[in-house]
Amino acid sequence: MSRQTIISITFLLHLMLAIIRPCPAMDANKIVTDGFNYWRGKASIGTVEMLIHREDWERTMTIKAWTRGQKDSLFYIAAPPKDYGNGTLKKGREMWIYNPKVNRVVKVPPSMMSQSWMGSDFSNNDLAKSDSLLLDYEHTIIGTETHEGKTVYIIESVPKPNAPVVWGMQRLKIREDQIWLSEEFFDEDLQPIKIMTAMEIQMLGGKLFPKVWRMRNVDEQNRYTQLTYRSLEFKPGLPDRLFTLSSLKQRRR
Amino acid sequence: MSIETKMAWRNIWRNPRRTVLTVCAITFASVLLVFMLSFQFGSYETMINTSVKISTGHLQVQAERYREKKSIRFVIPRPRAIAEIVDHIPEVAAYTFRAQAFSLISSKDRTYGVVVTGIDPQKEVTVSRLKKLVHAGNFLSADDANQALVGKLLAKNLRVTIGDELTLLGQGRDGSIAATVVQVKGVYSSGIDEFDRSTMQIPLATFQDTFSMDGAVHEVVVIGKSLADIPGIKAKLKNALSDLDSGKPLRTLDWQELMPGLRQAIEMDLVSGLIFYGLLIIVVAFSILNTFLMAIFERTKEFGVMMAIGTTPGRLTKVLLIESMAMTMIGIIAGILLGIAITYYFQIHGIDFSGGSELLSQFGITGRMYPKLSLLSISIGPFMVLFFTFFAALYPALKIRRLQPVEAMMAI
Repeated sequence: MSRQTIISITFLLHLMLAIIRPCPAMDANKIVTDGFNYWRGKASIGTVEMLIHREDWERTMTIKAWTRGQKDSLFYIAAPPKDYGNGTLKKGREMWIYNPKVNRVVKVPPSMMSQSWMGSDFSNNDLAKSDSLLLDYEHTIIGTETHEGKTVYIIESVPKPNAPVVWGMQRLKIREDQIWLSEEFFDEDLQPIKIMTAMEIQMLGGKLFPKVWRMRNVDEQNRYTQLTYRSLEFKPGLPDRLFTLSSLKQRRR
Repeated sequence: MSIETKMAWRNIWRNPRRTVLTVCAITFASVLLVFMLSFQFGSYETMINTSVKISTGHLQVQAERYREKKSIRFVIPRPRAIAEIVDHIPEVAAYTFRAQAFSLISSKDRTYGVVVTGIDPQKEVTVSRLKKLVHAGNFLSADDANQALVGKLLAKNLRVTIGDELTLLGQGRDGSIAATVVQVKGVYSSGIDEFDRSTMQIPLATFQDTFSMDGAVHEVVVIGKSLADIPGIKAKLKNALSDLDSGKPLRTLDWQELMPGLRQAIEMDLVSGLIFYGLLIIVVAFSILNTFLMAIFERTKEFGVMMAIGTTPGRLTKVLLIESMAMTMIGIIAGILLGIAITYYFQIHGIDFSGGSELLSQFGITGRMYPKLSLLSISIGPFMVLFFTFFAALYPALKIRRLQPVEAMMAI
């Protein structure tokens, strides 16, 4: 073989490799963003049953939820009657809570953001900073597995330098059809803290969607919060006036 | 008086200046030890009692896991049963019930996370200093509902004054949302910033109502008649609690367990004190050793003569030891008496510590400190001096046993 042929073959090989090898960073970003958007939809109206489970104690609440885009949400407690009408409004990274008994809207101060939301295993931050994953983290595909015959991407998300984040790392499992299977939260020392898993994937609101979500502390099997969608409807949009403080106040009854 | 004692006594006063100087060193060390130890013990008692009276009490009965994890669900379901037990312990001076929950407190335009405590206004007065700390407005009264006392810094942060309304939002015992509106009735200032910034007190009945407590409380706070009674009360409470069927396991915690920081501060202070006392005692012991070594060198000839006319080395050792012990005893007794006198004066009048109040306010000490005489503080220092000087004196006293009468008599 002449020297020329060797060079051209090597060149060709390089060219081929460059085409075949995907750009992992971009791909991972796209998978995460698409998955997040699939999960949230453009806008949605849903009814969720929240079960707070503890070793010696359990409690169920029914919550009506409106979401829009990646940032805005409005929640109302529909049951039990004792808590009926309590609301939470999340706009951007700010949160307000409303209580019908005292008829006051209270803004959740930064110092309380790490506290639990309504006594569940979700913190206020989990709600308020839900879009932080898209904005403040860099994603890398670290592996794949299969779930119900479909490819699942395992993605590690590491915070960008100087990003104001809560977690030191997150590990996501997103199926190729954009369904979010799990999200695991790690602290700064990369120790796993809690994990959210999606279960019972079925048709909901016109698309495949996990019906049950469970948030659990990694070291406590017997302590978790489980969200079960009773109904879910995706909408092309929801009006601005829904996500305002006055709407938070009016929604009581 | 035996011949040895007589000889020793005469020897002591043969060189009065040296004796007086040695005795003075011992006296001074003893006075210092008596005073310092009394002062330390006194300040610890002040620290403990003031800290205890701000919040924790001497003893508390709580649900098993409440101390580690202040969850609103770890309650004492039937506090009356415990009250009955406590009523029957004679050493108990007072007790009260409290309930606590972390909540959001908001004024018109500000919100903070605050530890809200439900207190029994009448009983609280007998247990804590809270009423005396209220510097604006009034303390809660028995029939108040939806009134609140707020820490000074919290009031400042929330920008509220007496009569303003505060919204309370939290989580009840059954997981429901607890919400109420309370009116600021008083503002308190303890001098402990953490306490003044993040606590608020409301009547226990209001608390139980708002947080769906169903009559339960979180703490039974007990104050003993004196600090020394606490272990006894704790044992009795423990015994009684193990017989009580309270539905949930309860436990008794004393102030050391409730305020480990305070105990550690005391231990640290005591250790640094002990190092200082150790040095002082060593210095005194060496001065005694020096005195006696000098005495031997000076009196070698005399010892030689005595041995030559038949004095046994044992008797000489005995004389020397009696000399040293007599001097030490004089010094110690003088030191104890003087120490008691000085300490007693300050025990009555106190020592002004207003200069160090920044540092001390975190332990709840403001203004004056009072030393406290006790058998322990009087005896332990001087006893240690006695112990070490005895060993210091033993060396020269044994050394003369090796003297040869002829050689000794030749010495200058």
